[in-house]
Amino acid sequence: MRELKFSQALNEALHQEMERDEDVFVLGQDVGKMGGDFGVTKGLWKKYGDRRVIDTPLSEAAMLGLSNGAAFTGLRPVVEIMFADFITECFDQIVNNSAKAHYMFSGQLTAPIVLRTANGGGFRAAYHHSQNPEAWLMNIPGITVVAPTTPYEAKGLLISSIRSENPIVFFEHKMLYSTSGEVPEESYELELGKAKVKREGSDVTIIASMKMCEYALQAAEELAKDGISVEVIDPRTLVPFDKETIFDSIAKTNRVVVAYEAPKTGGYGAEIAGMLNDEMFEFLKAPVKRVASKDSPVAFSPKLEDYILPNYNEVLEGIKEVVEY
Amino acid sequence: MGLEINKLKQMYYDMNLIRRFEEKVDEHSKKGNIPGFIHLSIGQEAAQTGVMHVLTESDYKFPDHRSHGVCLLSGSPKKKVMAEIFAKKTGLCEGKGGSMHIADVEVGNMGNNAIEGSITATGLGTAYASKYRGEDNVTAVFMGDGTCGRGELHESMNMAASLKVPLVYVLVNNGYAISTKAEEAHSFPENLSDRAAGYDIPAEVVDGNDIEEVYNAMNRAVERARNGEGPSMVELLTYRWQGHFSGDPASYRPKDEVQKWKEEKCPIKNLRVKLENEGVASEKLDKLEEDASKEVEDMVEFALESPEPELEDAVKYIYAEPYESMKEGK
Repeated sequence: MRELKFSQALNEALHQEMERDEDVFVLGQDVGKMGGDFGVTKGLWKKYGDRRVIDTPLSEAAMLGLSNGAAFTGLRPVVEIMFADFITECFDQIVNNSAKAHYMFSGQLTAPIVLRTANGGGFRAAYHHSQNPEAWLMNIPGITVVAPTTPYEAKGLLISSIRSENPIVFFEHKMLYSTSGEVPEESYELELGKAKVKREGSDVTIIASMKMCEYALQAAEELAKDGISVEVIDPRTLVPFDKETIFDSIAKTNRVVVAYEAPKTGGYGAEIAGMLNDEMFEFLKAPVKRVASKDSPVAFSPKLEDYILPNYNEVLEGIKEVVEY
Repeated sequence: MGLEINKLKQMYYDMNLIRRFEEKVDEHSKKGNIPGFIHLSIGQEAAQTGVMHVLTESDYKFPDHRSHGVCLLSGSPKKKVMAEIFAKKTGLCEGKGGSMHIADVEVGNMGNNAIEGSITATGLGTAYASKYRGEDNVTAVFMGDGTCGRGELHESMNMAASLKVPLVYVLVNNGYAISTKAEEAHSFPENLSDRAAGYDIPAEVVDGNDIEEVYNAMNRAVERARNGEGPSMVELLTYRWQGHFSGDPASYRPKDEVQKWKEEKCPIKNLRVKLENEGVASEKLDKLEEDASKEVEDMVEFALESPEPELEDAVKYIYAEPYESMKEGK
């Protein structure tokens, strides 16, 4: 099968969905003529023009407001927030309108928006271009949180997100944009709320998404040489969370590591650890191990950033610790 | 432009309806029959009525937190507005919305909102949708003088003008953001709406207690929007007779100021004088007032008798497309 980069897979999804459905439109800073800061919206403006591809001012609140209002009438906006850190600028719209419109008006309105945004460290981009705010969004009932790892998932999950009736925050880890993988040319959907077992194993389960899932797979490969069998699960969506797949795995391995790039305290791994404590306690032979960022801002100095963010070695050591407990 | 007598009589009825409605809501809020915060618009009836007589059911309306009157005049079954405020299952939002979150999408009420300024950005989207589809309906967003401090409003005005969308900002300036006067917390040349000029948005300031002035100004703004000429702002100068919320003694305001507005600027009394001068019999106006009271009494009765939501409603409508993996027990 042909290979695409993660960013190209997203781009293909947008082209195919805009072709399929006249109600889909795209807005964001520099998404038009420039084709997006990471090239994800390349070619859309040339093909569909100003009406369906809007280059906006630096006004995230108005961009999300426009998206919500348009979605209330049945349109399907895909809004790019250039960096996930900028979500703070439109948080009111997400929290108070996108998430609640359907609920508080008893089903009269829906807000089928997709907010695409680039998260994650590693670019030496520091405090305001590197954060991982998944957990901020997970604490808002009504919001779906999508986190693809491979180009194949990026395309399929974006198509599903655009077709969903629910408001969706779609994270794109910026260190994944240039990774390649097999992607079918035809349009396809991947179910939201379905995790993927990416490597089967019997000794320990590691739950990891996006960049951390890459580390988890490498670590599993390495540990196999020492006879440790690691099962790697990628949740793909953090809300809804596929408990069934994960619980089945833990019932088998009895040991679990959760790896996430956000600060350890209150990150999504903290929620997973709590959930396992509530519902899977009798299956656990070791405490749930969290491998995460230090509770620190993402520093500018490369040396400090590398120290703050969780790395491959910490994932490896985390798995060993749980296996040896 | 003077309005037809029949139209003015209907407005007279509607303004009385709003006042009686607000009085009853206040009464039942204080009795404990209505939960939560209640923001009354007694004294502001002309601003709400004049605007709503211009808009149609196909226009998108975004009322703010002090907008019972706007919801009443949207074309919804009125008793369902009252039942909603009483948190009853028979309300427009099945009791899940309440005073500050009432929608009736069938008649273009896209939901009032308790975050000041939030709807000025959301309204941008319905207005863009009208333009996107080539439809001639307009969007009206309600806001107060307090809203003028919100960044969302300024982002909205900038984009609305740049995209030239059919949007009208209805600035109901009632003098106070809770206790703070606009001139104490804002910097502006003469009127708050002067700021619109900076976004190339035309604005008009009128006496918000004069129903004809309100109607005519709103009409001009809506015409501009329907003709594809972009957004406008209409600033309606008015005054709320009561505190910010039902129960607020509003001790921050001088007593003689309140008294002056009540005596000299009552929008209902002034319209009555105008209608009497036009030759409408006093008894006919009395009858309109009685009918309005009766209609409100019926709404209250309906609301009091209606059931509360079911407990299962608490987890209904969280997701428009519910997920298999989130069903209870999983």
